[in-house]
Amino acid sequence: MSIIYVLIPIALLFVLIGLAIFFWAVRSKQFDDLDKEGFSILFDEKNTEAKPKAPKNE
Amino acid sequence: MTTSAVSCFHCHEVVPVGGHFMVEFDGAAKPCCCPGCQAVADTIIKQGLSDYYRFRTKPASKADAIPAELQQLQSYDHPEILAELAVLQGEFQRIELSISGMSCAACAWLIEKNFQNDTAVKRLQVNSATSRCELIWDANIRPLSEILKAIHTLGYQVNPFVADTEEQHFKQEMQDYLKRLAISGIMTMQVMMLAFGLYFGEHTGIELQYEGYLRWVSLLLTLPVMAYSALPFTRSAYRALRQRELNMDVPITLAIYYTFIASFYATVSNTGDVYFESVCMFVFLLQVGKFFEFRARKQARDATSNLLKIMPVSAELWRDGRSETVAARKLQIDDVILVKAGETIPADGVIVTGQSSVDESMLTGEYQPVKKQPDDFVLAGSNNHDGILTVRVIKALTESRLGQIIQLQQQTLHQKPALLEKTDKIARFFVQRLLVVATATFLVWYFYLDESRAFWVTLSVLVATCPCALSLATPTAITCALAWLNKQGVLIKNQQVLASLPKLTKVFFDKTGTLTQGKFSIEKVVVHDLEYTESELLQLAAHLELRSEHPIAKAFLPYLADNRPDDLNCPVKLQDVELVVGRGLQAKWWHNDSWKQVKIGSASFCQVSQAAQVCLTVNDVLAASVTLVDAIRPEIQTLIARLHENGIKMAIITGDSSSNAELVAKQLNITELHRGCSPEEKVAQINLATQAGETVLMVGDGINDSPCFHAAHVSVALDSGTDLSKNQADVVLLHNNLTLLYRLIEGAQRARRVVRQNLIWAFGYNLVIIPLAVCGFVSPYVAVIGMSTSSLLVVSNSLRLLKA
Repeated sequence: MSIIYVLIPIALLFVLIGLAIFFWAVRSKQFDDLDKEGFSILFDEKNTEAKPKAPKNE
Repeated sequence: MTTSAVSCFHCHEVVPVGGHFMVEFDGAAKPCCCPGCQAVADTIIKQGLSDYYRFRTKPASKADAIPAELQQLQSYDHPEILAELAVLQGEFQRIELSISGMSCAACAWLIEKNFQNDTAVKRLQVNSATSRCELIWDANIRPLSEILKAIHTLGYQVNPFVADTEEQHFKQEMQDYLKRLAISGIMTMQVMMLAFGLYFGEHTGIELQYEGYLRWVSLLLTLPVMAYSALPFTRSAYRALRQRELNMDVPITLAIYYTFIASFYATVSNTGDVYFESVCMFVFLLQVGKFFEFRARKQARDATSNLLKIMPVSAELWRDGRSETVAARKLQIDDVILVKAGETIPADGVIVTGQSSVDESMLTGEYQPVKKQPDDFVLAGSNNHDGILTVRVIKALTESRLGQIIQLQQQTLHQKPALLEKTDKIARFFVQRLLVVATATFLVWYFYLDESRAFWVTLSVLVATCPCALSLATPTAITCALAWLNKQGVLIKNQQVLASLPKLTKVFFDKTGTLTQGKFSIEKVVVHDLEYTESELLQLAAHLELRSEHPIAKAFLPYLADNRPDDLNCPVKLQDVELVVGRGLQAKWWHNDSWKQVKIGSASFCQVSQAAQVCLTVNDVLAASVTLVDAIRPEIQTLIARLHENGIKMAIITGDSSSNAELVAKQLNITELHRGCSPEEKVAQINLATQAGETVLMVGDGINDSPCFHAAHVSVALDSGTDLSKNQADVVLLHNNLTLLYRLIEGAQRARRVVRQNLIWAFGYNLVIIPLAVCGFVSPYVAVIGMSTSSLLVVSNSLRLLKA
């Protein structure tokens, strides 16, 4: 059972990493608009298809 | 007017009969309701953005054929004005834009995609939740007006926006909420996991060293929850106590601190029991409730704070016979400014020369334009329709009526919705009794019974009666009701309305814009000269009225021919079109190989005697008369029937003094009608009703309704109403559908039922457990299980409200 002396701190380390990532995501405004990003996947797929056909300005 | 069932491809509004605006999509011709929508849909498809139509979840808002502000965009390019709006970042400028007309996330994509390959635009990011857009671009390559125009062609209205400090504050607070939620949520999971180890240890036996270890780890994990996540409750309780009051946050704070300190003591001294998991879970659940409440408030603010965009930014200063563009904020008293047709008046002032009709609906809610002559007052923020005015400034922009209203607005936003009075009373009652009982228990046990058990018995009393369930009962139910209503399209800004809505006995409706659509449509066309067909004349009228800014002119828009009026192939050929301010238009019309003199406008202008609002003459012979109506909203009948079923009385209260009001009342079968009311009289009527013991709801859309909003128990504004009325109201209906009002009442009734069930359960539980705990029959373990179960029961009962 003494293994928990090692395993629990490791688990805590992961918790800390998870929290740090969440805080970073909040700070970089990823939670400001939750609707749009859900849609982006629908559109991007079409995008890559369309791009070679119509290379605009660049 | 009869309408077909065909709906517009772009905005899903009904296409009028004889509509001929088509757009090609996926090889098929789709109908559009008006040239505005047609132009927008055509632009979108031609730019290869037709994905928008495939994936959008809501129809677009109807596109305006000639956005009046479009001409004003040019002024944003002026360096002085640009400097006020944008921030320089190296060679790029950064600006925030407010976009109206966005209906779903696909709109955000549409705008972003349109600028993806633009070399001048470094970054353009649209936030669909707040309808804002961040733009970083090179003003030397492309002026701002061109970018704004490009967004206009996609069918959105866009204005530069200067976010105020309060908005920054809201954003910061939102981030804090998310962080607090994350900390309490994730820590609760960890502590709960460890708690399960301890539960099982209690039953099957656990070595003392492991038990101590798990307790210490739990303590460590609970610390950030106590120190960071629970902060809002502690602060609120502290504030209340300092004012010698008790609010619901007081027992909450007391419970979490007492439980935490007891567990802390147990861990350090290695005696008794620990309740870290309860502390964490409690904080997390309450935090979720607070978060939802805050989000609703933020949403309400975002939806209405775009108000600032109506603050005019630029003005034409008239100096030495020349006009010069300056920032509106820098105008001083006695400056003379030039206001062209279609422009927003930038300051309160007196007209020096010129006459025009002015749209003051932004401030008064009335759609009928007001005629203005020299020496008349004009207000900042109102729109100049058709004449050129020179205005002497009498008040600077910040002191103008508009500026003051905006300031007032921001003050009212600071006032947080007060907690339900009832809950407060319960809290006061409960906390007092609880403290008395706990102290008595401790004293009795210490002096008369068992000295050594006194502390733990007192603890179990406090834990068992921990007002978790009680304090969760109302907030969770209200949060769930708010979330459900929000999904339906009802935004509640003041939670107190949920308490008064179930008792509702009377509804007051404003007429213009609330019961009616607030815009004119053609009701009847009578052709007097049979030489011409009705459609021919309507088309002629539409092309003539295109030159007018008058709201009546908009009623003719659907009858435009395919081509734009400047097009050479246009079937309606017109020459020498002349606008007579406030009266009508005249022109020469090419018909049957000859030029004919045509006039459109009021009967007196056309020199005929007719009752209809609009007459059309050809060579001074009456050809057609057109009757216009402000049509009643189609969904009103269902709403009224439902309110009748519930025994709720109805009344119309309107500023309109014409017989039109009576007509509407008769049509809707509403017997009580107060017409020709000034805002003060409206308030008096509502006060009369409240004094008679009625619970009153007021529905309105204009700023002239907002005094009533304070007088009524519940005030509801429509999304199509003025921004100011939306700011004042307790409730905003997000879709232009009045049946949502019934949803609102229904939601409030359900919420009240659930709150009552929750309170009965929480009280019942406490009544049973307190005597047992005081007598020392309840071991702290049983106390904690009881507490958690009752909390969970209450929460899951509230969650039922989310389903519909």
